[in-house]
Order: sequence, then C-alpha cells, then structure tokens
Amino acid sequence: MKRIAVFGYSSLSFEAMGRLTPEHYSLLFLAKNPDEAALVRAKGFAAETIDFRNDDELRGIGIGTDIDVIFCFYPDDSDNVFLTISARALDKRVSIIAIVDDPESAPKLLAAGANKIIDPYEICGRKTHEMLTRPDIANILDNTVFGRHDLKLAQIEIPQGAWLDNMKTDQLDLKNRHNLLLIAVVDNTLDEQLHFVTGGTPLVLKSGDILVVMGPTGKIKQFKNEVEHVGNR
Amino acid sequence: MLTRLIIHIAYSLQLSPTYQRGKRFFHNLLENPNSVIKPYFDVFMICLVLFNVFLLIRELNTPLTEAELLFEDVLVSVFITEYLLRVWLYRDAHKIILEDYEKATYLGISFSLVQAIKRIITTKLEYMLSPLALIDLLAILPGYRPLRMYRMLQMFRLFKLFRYFNSIKLFSEILASKRFDLYTLATFLGILVFIGSTAIYMFEFPAQNGHIKNLFDAFYFSVVTVATVGYGDISPQTHGGRIVTMALIMSGLGVLSFFVSIIVSAFNDKMTVLRENRVYTEISRYSNFVIICGFGRVGQHIAAQLQKDKLQFVIIDADPTAILFAKQSGYLAIQADASKNQVLCNAGINAGATAVLCTTGNDVINVYITLTSRHLNPSIRIISRVNREENAQKFYQAGANNIIQPFEIAGMVVAEYVGQPVAFEAILGIIREEQQCVMETLCVQADSMLDGQVLGGIDFDQRKLLLIGVISENSLHSRHKNRYTIKNQHFYFNPPDYFELQHGDLLMVMGRDYSIEHFRGLIEKSRLTLRRKR
Repeated sequence: MKRIAVFGYSSLSFEAMGRLTPEHYSLLFLAKNPDEAALVRAKGFAAETIDFRNDDELRGIGIGTDIDVIFCFYPDDSDNVFLTISARALDKRVSIIAIVDDPESAPKLLAAGANKIIDPYEICGRKTHEMLTRPDIANILDNTVFGRHDLKLAQIEIPQGAWLDNMKTDQLDLKNRHNLLLIAVVDNTLDEQLHFVTGGTPLVLKSGDILVVMGPTGKIKQFKNEVEHVGNR
Repeated sequence: MLTRLIIHIAYSLQLSPTYQRGKRFFHNLLENPNSVIKPYFDVFMICLVLFNVFLLIRELNTPLTEAELLFEDVLVSVFITEYLLRVWLYRDAHKIILEDYEKATYLGISFSLVQAIKRIITTKLEYMLSPLALIDLLAILPGYRPLRMYRMLQMFRLFKLFRYFNSIKLFSEILASKRFDLYTLATFLGILVFIGSTAIYMFEFPAQNGHIKNLFDAFYFSVVTVATVGYGDISPQTHGGRIVTMALIMSGLGVLSFFVSIIVSAFNDKMTVLRENRVYTEISRYSNFVIICGFGRVGQHIAAQLQKDKLQFVIIDADPTAILFAKQSGYLAIQADASKNQVLCNAGINAGATAVLCTTGNDVINVYITLTSRHLNPSIRIISRVNREENAQKFYQAGANNIIQPFEIAGMVVAEYVGQPVAFEAILGIIREEQQCVMETLCVQADSMLDGQVLGGIDFDQRKLLLIGVISENSLHSRHKNRYTIKNQHFYFNPPDYFELQHGDLLMVMGRDYSIEHFRGLIEKSRLTLRRKR
C-alpha cells in the first residue's frame, strides 16, 4: 500500500484524494492550521497539522522513511517549490507531484525535484480542445478509461524470469486470449521510451520492460497475476 | 391597367432570383465594403480617374488626339453607368410600390400609383443630393459637349477619389462626428478674422502708408497670419498693424492647436470602432469557427491549440489587458461583454460559428454566456468551464452540451498518475498527439468497403493500425460483449472478428497519422467506386 502525503487545502486535493481508493492508498492530509485539519477530517480523511517549513516536522510524518508520494497542492507556487526542495532533500526516491499556478514556475518546480507538474488550466484547456475537435474519443475515454466504467489502462512490469521474457509482441495475442489490447511497451534495456504496438516490427520483450495494456479490470488483474507468476505458465 | 401592370412587374422583380442576384452583385461591386470584388473595382476606378487627370493636364498644353478623346468618352460612359447603378441600388423602387400597394389593400383604400412614384422620386433624390452623388454628377457633366468649356468642372473627377479611398471616407466621418467642436472653432475663428481684418484695415489703410488697399486685402492678410503661413506679400508697416499681427499670430497658434487636438481625439475615438469593424469584417469571411469567451489561462491554452490545428476562432473578453495580449498573439479578439446578445451576434453566433466555449473563471458569467448563446442559437455546441462542482447541473440547465471542471480533471490526472504513471503518460501522449501515435475515429459510410464488412475481414495489422473498439448507436450490435453505454451510444471494446460493421458506426483506431489518413482515403475511394458502379 502506497503512503501519500497531501499538502494544500484546495478542490484539487479533495478531487485527488476522493479518487484514490483506501484499499490501495493510505492518505494523510497535512494542514497548515487545526481548523483546516478539522475540515478535512470532517470529510473522512486523516489529517495532521504541521509547519511544512520545518524539516523535523516533515520527517515526523514519515518523509524520508515511509511516505511514497507527496502532493504539493498549495495555491502559492513558492510554497510548493519550498516544500519540493525540502522533501527532495529528505528523500531522493519519493515521488513528488506538484500543482503550478504560473506556468513560469513549472521549470523551477522541476529543478526543485518534482517528478510531475500539474497545471489545471492547461489540462482544462486541452480537455476543451479535445472535446471540440475529437468529441467521440474524448467522450469514450472520459467514460471508460478515466470514468467509472470497468475499462482501464494499466502498466505491467515484466519480472525477472517471467514467461514473457524473450517473447515477441506478436506472439502474445492478448486480444483473443485475455480480451486485452497491448497499447505500448517501455523498453527498459534499450531507451526507456514508449514504443506503440501498431503493426510494424514486433518487439522482443525482456524482463524490466513495462507493458501498457487496456481492458476490463478483471482481465488486467488476471493477466498481471500470470505475468508476475515467475516461471512457465 | 397601367397600375396593374406595374404591380405585376414589381411582384415579378420581388420574386425573380435573377434580378435579386444581379442587384446583390452590383451591391457587392459598388457598395458592400466587405465584399471581395469591391476592392478590385475601386482600384480600377482610381486608375481611370488618375488617367483622366493626366489627360486633363496634358490638354492644357497639347490638344487631345482622337484616341484620347474616345477614351474620355468611354470614361464618361463608365462614370454615367456607375452613377445610374448607384441611383438604382439606393432603395428598391419595386419595394416602395409593393409597400404602398399592400398597405392600400390592407386598409381597403385605392392604390395611388402617382403617390408611389412620388415616393420613389423623393427617395432617389435623397441619394442624388448627397455630397458623393453630387460629386459623381459634376464629374459626368463636362462630358456633355456644350459644358466642355467649363473645364474646371473636370476637377470634380478628382473628388471622385473620395469614393474609393476608405481613409478619406474615415476622415470625413471624423470631421462629421466632431461637428459641434468644429462649429465652435469656426465661429471663434470667424470672429477672430473679422476683428483682425477690421483692425488691420484701420491701421494699414493707404492713407496711413500701409499696404492694405481694401477690405479683401485685410481679410486675406488676417487669414494668412492666423494660419501662421505668412507669405510676406503684404506686411504691416505701422506699429498698430504690427501689434494686431502679433495678436493674430498668437491666436492663430491657439486655434491650430485646438483644431489638431479635436482631430486627434476624434481619431482616437474612431480607431477603437474601426479596429472592431475590421474584426467583424474578418469574422464575416469565416465559415466554421469557434467563439472563445474569456481569455484567461484556459482560454489561452485553447486558442494555442486551435491555432496549431489551423482552426478559425474569435476571442471575446471584457478585460482590455487580455484583449491586448490576444491581439499581440495574433488572434482575432473583441473587447466586449460576451453575455450581451449583440456582442455574440456580431461575433457570428448565427453566422458561421460552430461552437461557443465559455472559459472565464467565474461560474456566474459562464452560466450567463451559456444561456445567452443557447437562446441565440439553439443548435450551436456549447462547452463551458465549471469552477465549482455544485454548479455543474446549472450549466446543463442553461444549455451547455459539455462541461469541463478543471480541478476534477486535474484530480483525475493526479490519481491516474499515482497508480499508472507510464500507462497514463502513454494515453495522454496519444490524446495530445505528442507521441508518434494518435487515436482517431473513422466513420463507416454507407456504400463504402466497410459497410457490412466483418472486422475479421479487415487486416488492421497490415494497415499498421490497432482497433480499440467500435462506437455505435445501432441496436444490431447489442448482442456483443464488452459493451459500454455512453450517453445514447455504445462503445464495443475489442470487438470480435465476426462483428459486422453497419453504416454510421465509428471505428476507434490507433496508429501513426499517415496510416490513419491512408486508410481513411481507401474508405472514401471505395465509396466513390461503389457509387460509380451503381
């Protein structure tokens, strides 16, 4: 189970927390003051009050030890930059996702050590553009992959010694065997880039590669179990 | 009998598409500032006028040749034709007859043809007495042989240039708009010149050894001095005359400054309207475009994307800073309140716009714009930004087709990213067309190679495409598995090989853009071939 620390009282924090299921994620909201913490607790989330500028308090909540992901969702970019720098200094491996208000702050956040920058206005603009120019695709993806339908997109890493090792992508036949579609492969041994599987030369799979598949949740889970079961099928 | 015949002709003209088309053509040629052909006609007429001026100057020293005289006759014929066409275009005579006739029929009184003709003559005279029409007439008159001696009248042909230069028209409009200020200035100037002329005459009268011989000289001297020109042909000789001259010069400076400030301020006022008109003219040339209401961060991103796609759009925002930024970015922008009916009408909501995007950061304004847009155009597509989740339903009630919630989408992005960063980046890359692969829909058109075809018969691998699914409203497919209901459609994910396509279905495919385009081309080609065979 991933432990996520959420900083910043905003609509985005609640949207993100609401979408992360308690079975897979342990969420902790870090409030600036007790009133904020009380409001978050009233919504059913765990909350603590800390001063994010204090490294000891950051260590106290588990950054550097058991926090896997940090959401920096303060409304001020400067607060997010400061928190990112502090968290990165405490933990080199923690995944930091930060929100950006002014687009000029994005490179600063990346320089501070953030892994992913979220610009809500940019996303909204792109979404509107998609809806305008490709309404069918936007609609389908919203309702299936990003919606509440059972259709999902998933990534599956090939472990050492898995039966998929050295197999070619055209031999997989996920479409008929698992009711899944293989969308792309990340070749970790080559260039760590996404290679889309749309005909052409088939790729040879190696352990460490990541498969990006699309399909019903149950089928993804079943296939994931098969892949992660080291040894022959 | 004659009345009946005229009414019949009037009705025929009203219903005749040829007549209407002809009138529209000449209106576009001569009057419509937004038409494509008018600029060409204007340039042609400018060339004719300039050539005529050349002949006029030449005639002063050398008699004109036969060819040149013939050209002048042709020129006058063109001017006469243009003049008559303009008189014809000014209000429809047949409409006046029909208006009077229908009014008389409705009231049960007898129709008077004489009255109708009188109205037509009054209307046409209204035009003929307008300054530009008078210039046109005066430009034609020297073409009449007995009037040739009045060569000065040919100068009016030069004034015809006023018609063809928009900037001159604008200047006369500006003068007209500042009529009151200019009258005030003219009155002051008149009094000043009157006082100056009288005073200078009194001081510089020949009896006083001055150069002013009569009142006209005094008036001429005053005007030249007030205008700060000072030719020097007449100069004051007495102390009194010099004092008057100095006073006239100082007052003249004031008058000139006042005149310049009036013109400059009028230009400033007019420029905003002029720029707006230019935007509206540009919009009127668009056929399919998007109206973006609000040029904040979201609006800016949308505009950049649409620009990238080479799609046409216009921005409306009440904030002058936002509009300035939009214009600096090279976009078509109007500074106005988008919730006003007139603003949206001027922006073309009923004249070529295909969608309205409400992207301001204020839900109240967005709802109002949505409602106004839906009221003005019941069929236009409206996509609205919703900033607070609790307001989402209100937008649908106001008439939005789709809503966008920035923080909901951002929250979803974060949640997806935490769980599946690679997968999520992949799908985002495809959607944003940042990767080599794109996702597109291909329509199964009636009579194309896909209509009635089973999926197993289409080799997607060979075409370097990946079929994600089929979007369909057709109930024939309802027996298939992997069916996801989306609004009034169904999405069939990974459909089996025996899935038979029906026209109207949409194939959702992934692949390189040129693979998709190639396949699209094949479908279109097959449709045309099958049609030809039938």
